[in-house]
Amino acid sequence: MHIMEGFLPLHWAVIWWILAIPCLIFGIIQLKKILASDREALPLLGVTGGFIFILSSLKLPSVTGSCSHPTGTGLSAVCFGPWITSVICAIVLLFQSLFLAHGGLSVLGANIVSMGIVGPLAGWGIYRALRDTGVNMYFTVFLACAIADLCTYIVTSLELALAYPAEVGGFLSSFALFMGIFAITQIPLAIVEGIVLALVFKYIVQLRPEILIRLNVFPDEKIRAAGSDA
Amino acid sequence: MSPRYRLEILALVAILCFCGLFLFTSSIMGDAEYAGSDTVGSSKVAELAGLSEEDFQPLVPQWEPPSGEIESCLFALQAAIGGIFVGWVFGYWKGQKNRSI
Repeated sequence: MHIMEGFLPLHWAVIWWILAIPCLIFGIIQLKKILASDREALPLLGVTGGFIFILSSLKLPSVTGSCSHPTGTGLSAVCFGPWITSVICAIVLLFQSLFLAHGGLSVLGANIVSMGIVGPLAGWGIYRALRDTGVNMYFTVFLACAIADLCTYIVTSLELALAYPAEVGGFLSSFALFMGIFAITQIPLAIVEGIVLALVFKYIVQLRPEILIRLNVFPDEKIRAAGSDA
Repeated sequence: MSPRYRLEILALVAILCFCGLFLFTSSIMGDAEYAGSDTVGSSKVAELAGLSEEDFQPLVPQWEPPSGEIESCLFALQAAIGGIFVGWVFGYWKGQKNRSI
């Protein structure tokens, strides 16, 4: 999902930075607040952040004959919300632009918006919608993670299509083109990522259900019921 | 199927299907290069802009890993950092839980 350094015209790079910065500032404020109020939130942040590090470094082959990587942001979005997730993503993306030439400093804003903000926001939206319904808790996490992953790549396609509308067909035709490259490749990856992160969530529920209850991730009864039949 | 390990079994099946899908597509698509989708996307950008890829110069100077080996080393390092966090916390929680029983 990385847009490579130099591949966005300056004005687009600036626009995405302007969108990303307030979200990051808000995320940092939220992060400080949660770490000050709950000591046990830090280990959970370590796990969810750790999975963003791991999954976003795995480049997996897909059906389109190209490789792409999952994002791992859904789990963090479910536990901490999209804004804190965007701060962790910004750290990962900064690492990748400085040391791996994946992305770059001028396009970092655009990459933060896709992987750190809109993706997690979409996953979080799904999770919020299903949280208090009868839908299975792990299925909710699966869906949130898969959607967060997929939306990241849809936004990347959108960012590139806005900057490079096709001569024939304009924005829509180049959006379809980039969706073919990024989003189609991503579908099988998003499904596997969703299942793996749902499994990780299950282990968190088994080991430390209190933290999830305290952070109000899911209603008490759901977490207790899931913890007791384990 | 025991409900206790339902999710584990599901994850295993999904990963095996993913591997199977890869083996199947790579056998029918002989010319697939398995390049990164970032690279494919970038060459599409160059095509749309009517420029060659070399015309896209970094706006901010950038260090690039000198070879694919060094790049994969750094990617492995990134995954390892994540793995350390995850393993450390799960161990910490497990220890807390065992002590409280």
